[in-house]
Amino acid sequence: MSAGETILVALIAIIAAPLVGGLLSGIDRKLSARMQSRWGPPLLQPFYDVAKLFQKETIVVRRSQNFYVYFFFAFMVFTTGLFFTGSDLLLTIFALTLAGIFLVLAAYKASSPYSFLGAERELLLMMAYEPMVLLTAVGMYLVTRSFIVVDVARSSVLLIQTLPGIFVGFVFILLFKLRKSPFDLSVSHHAHQEIVRGLTTEFTGPTLALIEIAHWYETAVVLGIVALFFAAVPWLAAVATAAVFFFLILVDNVFARVKWQLALGSAWIVALALGVGNILVVYFIR
Amino acid sequence: MGMRAFKRSPWVLHYDASSCNGCDIEVVASLTPLYDVERLGVINTGNPKHADIFLVTGSVNAQNVKVLRTLYEQMPEPRVVVAVGICATSGCVFRECYNVMGGVDTVLPVDLYVPGCAARPESIIDGIVQAIGLLEKKRRYMRTMRGRMEEIVVGPATAIDAPEILALQKIVYQNEAEMYDDWTLTPLKQTLEEMRNDFADKVFIKAVVGGKIIGSVRGWMEGETAHLGRLIVHPYFWQRGLGTKLVTAIEARFPQAKRFETFTGQKSRHTMEPYQRLGYLPTRQEKVSEHRDRIYFSKEREAE
Repeated sequence: MSAGETILVALIAIIAAPLVGGLLSGIDRKLSARMQSRWGPPLLQPFYDVAKLFQKETIVVRRSQNFYVYFFFAFMVFTTGLFFTGSDLLLTIFALTLAGIFLVLAAYKASSPYSFLGAERELLLMMAYEPMVLLTAVGMYLVTRSFIVVDVARSSVLLIQTLPGIFVGFVFILLFKLRKSPFDLSVSHHAHQEIVRGLTTEFTGPTLALIEIAHWYETAVVLGIVALFFAAVPWLAAVATAAVFFFLILVDNVFARVKWQLALGSAWIVALALGVGNILVVYFIR
Repeated sequence: MGMRAFKRSPWVLHYDASSCNGCDIEVVASLTPLYDVERLGVINTGNPKHADIFLVTGSVNAQNVKVLRTLYEQMPEPRVVVAVGICATSGCVFRECYNVMGGVDTVLPVDLYVPGCAARPESIIDGIVQAIGLLEKKRRYMRTMRGRMEEIVVGPATAIDAPEILALQKIVYQNEAEMYDDWTLTPLKQTLEEMRNDFADKVFIKAVVGGKIIGSVRGWMEGETAHLGRLIVHPYFWQRGLGTKLVTAIEARFPQAKRFETFTGQKSRHTMEPYQRLGYLPTRQEKVSEHRDRIYFSKEREAE
């Protein structure tokens, strides 16, 4: 791709990703409602919510708390740009982690006991899912011999065939990433209440809207990584990504929240058994 | 979409102020599959900072007045308070209990009352739907107020303006009371009668936009000194130099004064700032209550 094309693709991704993410969030709420035999809100509900939040008053404990949220948002946009222009997978993952860290810092800065608790739990969750995210990148490298997203996507090998363990492990930690039960300890969607509202307790109006939009970006990126496993067969990639998304919603509605010890322990066991195990198998077989 | 956003996304905060739980069960019932109030975009948030509509059930007692006020203060504008059930409306049979304040409106400005014992889910949903309309109205009001700085007219007020200035005074001093946690401030308790009497011996200045009074200050002469006081500006118009305009206008109304004096609370920066900008200097500080000090300011008029 020429520089001009890269910029164009990045722009399209940055505009389209939140639209897709928001729509997925709407589908999530509708499906969840149907699973609970309710009618549910309109499909575009997340967009209505965000539009409303932009018109609410901003109340802060400290003005600087919003500053960190802007960075969270900016790095999430940056991550999306990186991923969809097909650049380095590792860089994408690091930018994604950095964005997450800024959200934790924002919650710490708000200095309320509730947002502290949310921030601490978010750090624990990050510790839980990060190993598996890195192993995913390593696994993709082992098969395709490249960390570049474009190369992985254009690889003629169907990654899922050689990396089934890593795929299952990645879907498992998606429950953390997309804030789904049983791992929605720090903050969750829907009407679940934790201790007040975890991470986002102290954020109001436009800032809360930015957090929400950043989350839409995040959804688009992580589902993009899911699609990479099936990139060799495009139609299969679409179907599989949709199936994974449905599965996550189903799990969200079936399970209750677990304690942090179990969340951390299970994520590491999954990373060790499925992630490392899969990598070892690939390493020795080839 | 922005215009209709409030109609489609009302987030609710539900608080039980010593209710028998009858109304609370009905509030929760409206979230169940049978009524599914999420159809209207309603989310039961549990966090005042995310809420638009405050549903309060039960009569208010002495113990939870403070909780109720805190929750209300933490809700961002625009916000609507709905009293659900007859206890929240009037205190019902409990209103004469030694520990009961009465309905929610003894503590908060209630916008809507949902009657019933217990209030039926249908009427609670009706209350929410009406609250949605009110939210939209309040938002529009916020917006028109904010966008019209250049149309503000500052000029003398007369006794006809007394009710409107009194209403504004109560809004502004509500903020002061929250700041000092002192609800005994005299400006909050002033009656219309007292206000009308003030007009007989004091000079009033008002700031008007679109026919609404959004700021005021008053003053009176004692010897060669003009005393200024109760500089009030509607919170939507803070930090825009309106206070300075009002003080300048009232100074001009006392051409014979050689000296100006005023006082503010020690934490009331938005009141202090206009005076300080115009060259008022602090003279002394005096304790008036547990949490509140008065700082006195004065300024000599420059010789012309």
